[in-house]
Amino acid sequence: MFEYALSVMIFLPILAGVAMFLFPISRGASRIAGLIVSLIILLMGVEMFLGFTGTGGMEYLEHRPWVESLGISYGLGVDGISLLVLMTGAILFPMVFAIFTTQSKGYYANLLIAQGAMIGAICATDLVLFYIFWEVMLLPIFFMIGIYGGPKRLPATLKITIYTIAGSLLMLAALVYVGVSYHNQFGKWSFDIVQLSALDLGGGFAILAFLMFMVAFAIKIPLFPFHTWLPDAYTEAPTATTFVLSAIMAKIGVYGVIRFVVPVFEIEFARFAILLSLAGVTGMMYCGLAAIAQKDMKRMLAFSSASHMGIIALGVFCMNVQALTGSLFQIAAHATSTGVLFLFVGLMEERMGTREIGDLGGIAYRAPIFATFFAIAMLASVGLPGTSGFIGEFLIILGAIKFNGFIGFLAGTSLIIGVCYMLWMFQRVFFEKTNDRTIEFQDLKVSEILTFLPVIILIIAMGIFPQTFIKKIEPAAQLQVAKVYAMTQSQVAETKVPTPGHNNHKN
Amino acid sequence: MHDFLSFLPLLIICAGAILLMLLSAFEKIQVEIASFVSMGFFGAAFFVQLVVGCGPETELFAKVFNGMLVSSNFTMVAGLIILGCGFFTAMSANSYFKVNLFCTLEFYSIMMFAACGMLLLTMAQELISAFIALEIMSLAIYILVGYDRANVTATEAILKYLMLGAFAGAFFTMGTALIYGAAATTKFASIAAFISSNSASNALLIAGAFFIFVAFLFKVAAFPFHAWVIDVYDGAAAPVTGFMATALKTAVFVVFANFLAMSVDLHSDWITFLFYVSVFTMFGGNLVAIGQSNLKRMLAASGIVHSGYLLIGLVAISADNFTGSVIGYYLAAYAVGTLGIFAALSYLGGEGEKRASFEDFKGLAKVRPYSAAAITVFLLSMAGIPPTAGFMGKFYIITSAISAGQTALAVLGVVSSILSMWYYLRLIINMYFHDAEDSFEIKGSPLAIGGTFALVICVFAIGLYPIVI
Repeated sequence: MFEYALSVMIFLPILAGVAMFLFPISRGASRIAGLIVSLIILLMGVEMFLGFTGTGGMEYLEHRPWVESLGISYGLGVDGISLLVLMTGAILFPMVFAIFTTQSKGYYANLLIAQGAMIGAICATDLVLFYIFWEVMLLPIFFMIGIYGGPKRLPATLKITIYTIAGSLLMLAALVYVGVSYHNQFGKWSFDIVQLSALDLGGGFAILAFLMFMVAFAIKIPLFPFHTWLPDAYTEAPTATTFVLSAIMAKIGVYGVIRFVVPVFEIEFARFAILLSLAGVTGMMYCGLAAIAQKDMKRMLAFSSASHMGIIALGVFCMNVQALTGSLFQIAAHATSTGVLFLFVGLMEERMGTREIGDLGGIAYRAPIFATFFAIAMLASVGLPGTSGFIGEFLIILGAIKFNGFIGFLAGTSLIIGVCYMLWMFQRVFFEKTNDRTIEFQDLKVSEILTFLPVIILIIAMGIFPQTFIKKIEPAAQLQVAKVYAMTQSQVAETKVPTPGHNNHKN
Repeated sequence: MHDFLSFLPLLIICAGAILLMLLSAFEKIQVEIASFVSMGFFGAAFFVQLVVGCGPETELFAKVFNGMLVSSNFTMVAGLIILGCGFFTAMSANSYFKVNLFCTLEFYSIMMFAACGMLLLTMAQELISAFIALEIMSLAIYILVGYDRANVTATEAILKYLMLGAFAGAFFTMGTALIYGAAATTKFASIAAFISSNSASNALLIAGAFFIFVAFLFKVAAFPFHAWVIDVYDGAAAPVTGFMATALKTAVFVVFANFLAMSVDLHSDWITFLFYVSVFTMFGGNLVAIGQSNLKRMLAASGIVHSGYLLIGLVAISADNFTGSVIGYYLAAYAVGTLGIFAALSYLGGEGEKRASFEDFKGLAKVRPYSAAAITVFLLSMAGIPPTAGFMGKFYIITSAISAGQTALAVLGVVSSILSMWYYLRLIINMYFHDAEDSFEIKGSPLAIGGTFALVICVFAIGLYPIVI
């Protein structure tokens, strides 16, 4: 039965979501249905995680030809690289359905479709299939921000949509270029990522294609300077959408770089690694500084999320096992911590009708459990030892120093910025004087405690027993690094660049 | 026997057209019955076309027609698209003319004659028969465009279209004459033989081919012959516009591709010309479309952009091993999306097409969620978002362009489709993110609604099972 587990995990939520649109069922029923579906996915995800052997290869493979004349196949699989990303997509969703009880049917349906499409993008081993899911996952986000978002939702929706679609269409052209190059070199069509990694690309078009891929992923991550859509979209989106965007969708951008860009464009990647890692560090610092200045909690978290994505991306660009493992670990850690923080802010907004930091204060006295949970998630996001955030960031900084001392130094110091905005915000919101608004604040209900508790435990568990997770991802990371990063920078600099027209002999 | 079967769909449609023409002499027969009759004939012809299928390229009745008509997989696919377009147009016309009462029985008859011309055009492999087919099609379309004689915009549309179309026809004859002057033949195969034994850079041949290109480019509304299309699409009734935008474009592009593909030398000589035409068509169309506030005018302009994408496909065809699969697929993908949206407009437009602008469709999703969802699917297909047919079409076009070494053209096509997102998204935003001011009451028969949802299924079916390629 587990043979088709991945297909079920993709299409069960999508079909459930489409069915919700088509049939007139009530709001409550659609929420329950969504909760049940997401719990099934959660259980399947846990089962998959436990059954995952972690030998470095693809597991739970599914492969079926789809468009044979162009070598496009329906190929799914999970390896150490995608495992934790898949887990974040699979296990965090029930929280959303459990907490937000008052939304409309379309909201829940869109959430389910987004989940299915994201899992599809994570599991796809075929470039075209990946692209299809990658585009499909944008649509529910578009509708959710546009229909259920805040007062300035229209500009925010347009911004995120045009940005991402522009990126993806460029990627489409690059993707086709890769496929055609494969056809020219090997005489047959294939978009399978394992086979594409055998490609030997070079010349101007390869760099152009590489940049097109990188722009698409940089927009989704978002990597500095492509981050300008993020604050608006995250702030205006309804909480669940922000949660989906920050906890999972942004991670798929990083994952896409590791899975699809690095194996195909080894040389170009090595050549641009310094530049890209500088972009990562700059984004980290810039968004961190911007976060300090925010008055709106959600907007602050949005900038904080962008800042953290900078460090995760940096881990990928450092091209060594430590940093890559750290990035993959941090993907899960950041999803749990920042994702939960966004949900907490959503709860506060629901209860008090505001998320201005200045309007709040003294919540810790009224709601100690809520404050404790919030503090744990916040400290994990800051990277306190003993929480999940520490392990990932430590590994990334370690790798960064190994890669380039200066960049490692910059990354290490800019972590302090994160502490600044987070603790300052915590002080203003949870301590200081209670005011009229916060005096009424209700602590978490039992059902809410039960919803959040597993994730809070997970945050601590990932911090104390990281080896459970790392041993599943490390073999794949090593394999990836061994395959791809075999060349050092100096070697790349000395490689003879094939003359343009090497692959496109017809040009 | 196979020749006859390949020819049969054309005969069925022709018989249907004549039958309807005769029936319209009877007063008792209502317009609605005519629409059912034409649907029946289109359906039967579609079915025959599908069952007969087609093997490799064959000359139809080679002894009688002397190789003027050739059928192949490509023409079969084009025939299927045209017949499908006819079927769905008859369906939406049925609903449309329940509300807008200017229809007579001859409408359907003329539509079927137009379809005859189109089917003939796809199979024509000889310039004079192509011209005859082109004129059968065009004359019928002129009448359809101006069918509502009381409507001023329709009158304006037919005047513009007729005048300019007559010029295009004249150019075509001129081109034919010049090519005959050079090669002493009008058959594609013989012209190709002449080119391969002599050369394509014969002054007469170049001028002749140029004039023929002008006629084709005019018919598909490519730059710089695209200006008429906005007013004509706007003036014609919604089902007619849908029929023109899809079936006519299919027929002309098929004969265009056949003409280009007849000789490798001819194709390679004209690549640069077509390259620029295609780029300007895409970007010119986008510029026009972005400024429109009327839905039909926007769709007309987006049709120009799609012609540009199809021209990419024409640049990229390999003349020595021509199958036309990419162009055929794209035409099918484009046809289902466009037909669908015009079918939706046919029943949502209301009396005298009072709902025409972007503003009028504000809040449609709140009142008619299913219709809004269907329109969204069609728009996403036209924009090329997966998993719709439009995405696969665009994917094949880009693949064929890069395979042919036209990377720059592929990238420009992609940039143009980024631009086009704006006006497709604009309608979706209007439908979903605003509150409804209109009640969107629907009068008339449910056939157009049924057609719309059938086309939604087609969009996904063609996208997920791209069998043509």
